[in-house]
Amino acid sequence: MNREKIKTALVPEVDFSTAREMLPYLREPEQMYVGAPGKHGYLRLGFELDPDGKSILRDLDRRVPLIAQQELYFDEEMPEMPCLYILSSGGPNVDGDRYQQDITVRKNAFAWISTGAATKLAEMRYNYSGMIQNIVLEEGAYLEFMPEPIYPCRHTRFISDTRICVDPTATLFYSEIYTAGRKYYKEGELFEYDILSVCSHGERPDGEQLFREKFVIDPNVTPVRQLGIMGGFDVFANVIVMTPKEHADKIYEETKAFIDRDNKIACGITHLPNDAGLLFKVLGMEPGPVKKIVREFCSKVRMEVKGHPVPEEFPWR
Amino acid sequence: MLAVSRLLQFTDSTFPVGTFSFSNGLETASFEGIVHDAETLHAFTASQALQAAYSDGVAAIQAHRAFLRNDYDSVAAIDKMLILFKMNDEARLMLKRMGKKFAELAAKLFTNDIISRWLEDIKAENVPGTFPVAQGIAYAAAGVDEKSLFCAHQYGVINMVLSAALRCVRVSHYETQKILFDLSENVEKLYDEASQMELKDMNAFFPELDIIASLHEKGNMRMFMN
Repeated sequence: MNREKIKTALVPEVDFSTAREMLPYLREPEQMYVGAPGKHGYLRLGFELDPDGKSILRDLDRRVPLIAQQELYFDEEMPEMPCLYILSSGGPNVDGDRYQQDITVRKNAFAWISTGAATKLAEMRYNYSGMIQNIVLEEGAYLEFMPEPIYPCRHTRFISDTRICVDPTATLFYSEIYTAGRKYYKEGELFEYDILSVCSHGERPDGEQLFREKFVIDPNVTPVRQLGIMGGFDVFANVIVMTPKEHADKIYEETKAFIDRDNKIACGITHLPNDAGLLFKVLGMEPGPVKKIVREFCSKVRMEVKGHPVPEEFPWR
Repeated sequence: MLAVSRLLQFTDSTFPVGTFSFSNGLETASFEGIVHDAETLHAFTASQALQAAYSDGVAAIQAHRAFLRNDYDSVAAIDKMLILFKMNDEARLMLKRMGKKFAELAAKLFTNDIISRWLEDIKAENVPGTFPVAQGIAYAAAGVDEKSLFCAHQYGVINMVLSAALRCVRVSHYETQKILFDLSENVEKLYDEASQMELKDMNAFFPELDIIASLHEKGNMRMFMN
């Protein structure tokens, strides 16, 4: 069927056409076409210090289904910090969705960003869902990006590319938590998705490349349950901390790596290449305990960089 | 025939690039009871081989192709790109230490501009000098084809883990040889995929190995350097 394709106005193209791993998934969905208005989400957030030195959300531009709530100042340990939830009015990411999120934290500003609920990646039959993120931290900036876990459903195909550009004096805490799927749905969906392709790469404002991490998880091809990959674990968290070396060295010293076989939880920490910061990984069985360890780790980072801990998580989260 | 001789020489366990110093996390995996017999060792080694295939293996193939094009700039770029992709200190140390040793040896064995220029750049710290790139260019200089290079690369990774296993896991020579024999059967399929990949396609998802590596890095076990 030939349909006139309307493009979403004034937003960048989300182009994954060179991603080799997505080549099997290029059919046009029979529902709304790839990147149609409503399926081409865009979010641009810019935090900066106002003339009184208060960190505020200065820029906000968005296209459905992405929504950003007004910034709130609810962090009891850092009441001066704007906290913002990213939501999606569309429910899960569906077949053919393309999103882009551009987040800038300007000189000496600071912010905390999360999602309102877990991100569900729906079953896909024709195409895939893709997201590009550009995160820019200027001199002395500080950002905690700690979204809720991601749930890939049966036959989900998802690709993301996150470019992180951080000034040598700034600190970014960036976490992602991937579950194996809807563990308690029907008989349980564990690793029944088609593919997750997740790439994060860090650079300096002058263009110096610092690190590049890419996962391609395709459970139909790769034995994800093999020892060394996910083994017996169901939930995986990846945390990138870009921070000056003196902070990174202290946080590294204070953070334990362990494998707790009784409670089935493990975590490890290492240095990113080029003194870019730290990489922290957690494996567990359920999102709750993994989230708790990620949050405790964030508290170490915040304590080192800002001199405050991260407060207890809200009981309803 | 000479290419086969070179291949045998470069993959021999006595070839002095220091493979015996590294266990790729096996020392910790054994201590933690994760690897404790032939079956778990087989799985651990399979993961190490797979992890190497789509990162180091791709870089080795690309370096081999760059050498044959007489394209030094690409050799240097591949080297720099691979180190960006190495997410722990001990892995970077291993790749750089073995790479430099291979480069020094290759510079003595071959009279070749690319090899000597690369060694100079390693010494001047202009490039990291990673082992897969050393393999790529030295095998190309020796007239060994790309597929055999990949095979040698995989053999090297598997054999490094299995040699360490004889020193830190309760397994026999018979069992390690059977694991090597069986895992060799995957190499052709891995090559088919890796040879189609560009540098930007390099990928690795081995969180359990990463955590094991981190434990080694933080711990005080030091029979092996990783």
